[in-house]
Amino acid sequence: MNVEPLLKVENLVKHFHVRLGAFGERTATVHALDDVSLDIQQGETLSLVGESGCGKSTTGFTILNLHRASGGRVIYKGQDLTLLDDKRMRPFRRDLQIVFQDPYSTLNPRMTVGEAIGEPMLFHKLAAKTELDDKIATLLQDVGLPSRFASRYPHELSGGQRQRVVIARALACQPKFIVCDEAISALDVSIQAQIINLLLDLQEKYGLTYLFIAHDLAVVRHISTRVGVMYLGRLAELAPRDALFETPLHPYTKALLSAVPEADPLRERNRKRQILEGDVPSPLDPPSGCRFHTRCPIAADVCTKIVPEWKAARPGHLVACHAVNPSSA
Amino acid sequence: MTLVETNPAVGEEDRPVNLWRDAWHRLKRNKLAIFGLGIVVLLAFVAIFGPYLTPHDFLSQDLQARNQAPSLAHLFGTDDLGRDVFSRVVYGTRTAFLVAIVVTAIALLIGTTLGAVAGFFGDPYDRVIMWLTDMTMSVPNLLLVVVINASLKTPIARWMETQYMATLNPFYRETIWIDFFLVFGSMAMISWPPYARLVRAQVLSIRSRPYITAAMALGLSNRIIMMRYVVPNALGPLIVSVSAGLGTAMVLESAFSFLGVGVNPPTPSWGNMISDGLRVWQHHPHLLAAPAAVLGLASVAFSFLGDGLNDALNPRGTK
Amino acid sequence: MTAQDTKERLLDVKGLTVEIDGRRGPAVVVDGIDLHVTKGETLGVVGESGCGKSLTMLSLMRLLPNKIKVTSGSADFDGQDLQKMSARALRKVRGGEIGFVFQDPMTSLNPVMRVGDQICEPLLYHRGMSRQDARKRAVELLRLVGIPGPEERLNAYPHELSGGMRQRVMIAIGLACDPKLLIADEPTTALDVTIQAQIVDLVKQLRSKLGMSVVWITHDLALIAGLADRVVVLYAGTVVEDAPVDALFANPSHPYTRGLLASIPTLSDAPAARLSSIGGTPPEPGRRPPGCPFAPRCPLAMDICRRDVPKLEPISSEGSHRAACFAVQKALKAA
Repeated sequence: MNVEPLLKVENLVKHFHVRLGAFGERTATVHALDDVSLDIQQGETLSLVGESGCGKSTTGFTILNLHRASGGRVIYKGQDLTLLDDKRMRPFRRDLQIVFQDPYSTLNPRMTVGEAIGEPMLFHKLAAKTELDDKIATLLQDVGLPSRFASRYPHELSGGQRQRVVIARALACQPKFIVCDEAISALDVSIQAQIINLLLDLQEKYGLTYLFIAHDLAVVRHISTRVGVMYLGRLAELAPRDALFETPLHPYTKALLSAVPEADPLRERNRKRQILEGDVPSPLDPPSGCRFHTRCPIAADVCTKIVPEWKAARPGHLVACHAVNPSSA
Repeated sequence: MTLVETNPAVGEEDRPVNLWRDAWHRLKRNKLAIFGLGIVVLLAFVAIFGPYLTPHDFLSQDLQARNQAPSLAHLFGTDDLGRDVFSRVVYGTRTAFLVAIVVTAIALLIGTTLGAVAGFFGDPYDRVIMWLTDMTMSVPNLLLVVVINASLKTPIARWMETQYMATLNPFYRETIWIDFFLVFGSMAMISWPPYARLVRAQVLSIRSRPYITAAMALGLSNRIIMMRYVVPNALGPLIVSVSAGLGTAMVLESAFSFLGVGVNPPTPSWGNMISDGLRVWQHHPHLLAAPAAVLGLASVAFSFLGDGLNDALNPRGTK
Repeated sequence: MTAQDTKERLLDVKGLTVEIDGRRGPAVVVDGIDLHVTKGETLGVVGESGCGKSLTMLSLMRLLPNKIKVTSGSADFDGQDLQKMSARALRKVRGGEIGFVFQDPMTSLNPVMRVGDQICEPLLYHRGMSRQDARKRAVELLRLVGIPGPEERLNAYPHELSGGMRQRVMIAIGLACDPKLLIADEPTTALDVTIQAQIVDLVKQLRSKLGMSVVWITHDLALIAGLADRVVVLYAGTVVEDAPVDALFANPSHPYTRGLLASIPTLSDAPAARLSSIGGTPPEPGRRPPGCPFAPRCPLAMDICRRDVPKLEPISSEGSHRAACFAVQKALKAA
């Protein structure tokens, strides 16, 4: 990868401080994100997967400076975004958009579809008032909705239609990069496929770059260029799609893939499933060393003490595991 | 594939796209709310044009015609001093509206300011303001009003008297203002906490809504987010609360007048009319019935209107 | 269907119709559903949100919220009609002979009651056990569902447990009285995939150990593939296909089932450029089109589909695979 990446994330850290106890007398730190580094290439779809609380959504939010980073850098167009305050961040927001999980709650219930889509265009001066209606109609068409939907309120639309509106609103800024934060998780199966196809169409048409955050591995396999697996605030593995799904290296990735059910009863019956014991530990008090060692089937002594290095096991295939070394892989 | 989804729940016609116009359309369809609105408008009209509507002066006594039953000359009859009850009820409406509007305005000003500061800036403001709110709410309303009235009325009256002696300014002779000042002030003092709590809760909850984050992600400025996203969503409950609050203030004023800590006679107030009427209700029920009915009507009207506004301002409500 | 076939049925639902009393008059949300569960069988009930899958199960237990009513149909459970049973007798069945596991373990557990007490509740009520015996049984149950340190966990409150643990507690409650039937309504939807694998594994083990029947309601076809013996596919309040699990996945017949299967990407298939998808959206409950409810979205729709409602009819020789589709039935006759 010798091309300059669109966005460079270096050692990103996000800690939340919470109050505990009935009177908030104790404080604790949630280690939501620790030492996450990744490059996002122009035009690719980089997916982040992992279980709830693994920090995949926090990564998206922190990259976009919607959460303030506790450490590390996010480089976009030569600028470290983590250093920008709200006002200086604003011009970058146009380029860097986000589509949220829940299309029900991310639209202002008191604004019509047209107003919601028109707002960012007017604010960023991307359209004059006179041409606004036309541009809104074009965007609605782009996401497969008729232009008369402009006068509807969000509650009058179905979930899939709302997610189309949210996507149109993100597109209104003419972005380069969109974080899709569980953008299809709240939708019905038959609608999910429609939205995935729409996202792929739009990527082709506008040369968009996606950071696709999801927990559905089958969907991720379908649409990604590269896939990163996160566990408890750290990246466990990051590889080109096929490498990750066909030759996963990290024991957590292997377990995760093994847990995904398949729509094939015969294969399911004969499948040797590796079932992980226990639960994900609390991010308030993450395990020492490798954070996965409490559930890892091959954990050794070293794993409990030393944080595994984030290294390339093969070209472009990064992994953080003591049991994987570059020569054997 | 970008097949158009058809949602049969949605009518095909294009409709107005303005929140307030939509709200009005929805309000119009709510019969109870329109009834409430009608009564409120009527009472407001009476309050404003009272002096032109009354057949008699509310103070003029006709000792020949005391305690008369309702008749054409005296629609609601006359009281024990032979004053026209209809005229007094009309003037009572003025008092009620004046009290309700002024008290609600003061309470709203204090409440929204404190609530917004508490919700927006958080601790330590939040802690202090909420402490103050809880303190105020924990003191029994009547007790507070009685204490304020009893402890301040005489000193103020005395102070005004000395001022009048010193300056001979006629303003200081008009003791009726003390009444209004104390009634308004003490009622506002007990009425603001609910507004403060409501506004704080609204600001807190709206600030954490995903659509606010979404608006921030679009790069919109704080001012636009405030005006287009926070305020319209917070306004509904506040308008509803104000509408109901106006009714409550009228009832409250009557209650205080009834207890003798409100507007003092001879200024007509529904409360002191009810209070007077109650003493003789077995013999002259109309003296109680007239003001009580009007008070009840006003209170019900405001609460219907409040409910209707609540539904109307929510686009998710009845289609 | 043969007489013997009927005999071993544990649950037999016939013509179940559920209506919501809406502002615009009653709306049919479950439209004459037929389904059955035989002894020891796991039935998967699959459908998207609003297809009536949860309402069907709630209506069996007469646990429907206000304004939603069963208007016709019967539900025979072990020889008794649940719809005609007295409220008292029904309470004995609920939580006694039929155990329930709900989707959201956080909201379905009482947050102010210790986990142990919640498990003991049905034992005290249905079994008349003494408090001591009930606690012993509760420990057994927690061990059975794989909760480590069950003695200490008895005194925990729900919020002190993780999501997976809470769902295990829900299952323990569902199993407390050795039910003949366990109804699980999207029990893993709120859980992570590795925890889902644990729960699925647990239910499979328990079923073979305890010999009960299971109804597993889900929207996830892939999940049901490795779990169920037979699958019922619901669409807009009707059963569109009913088949043994192998037959359903090897030979999906109804266009909706086919569309659904085609639209879910799988891990093992080589990724295609675009997913095939079903256009349009499911009709809202109570606003179903005349004729076959799937007709507006169906690629095979004929004139008759927009007029008449197809009946669930056997499409395999032995009759276990049934589909409600005019096009499929027509193709079968032609062959």
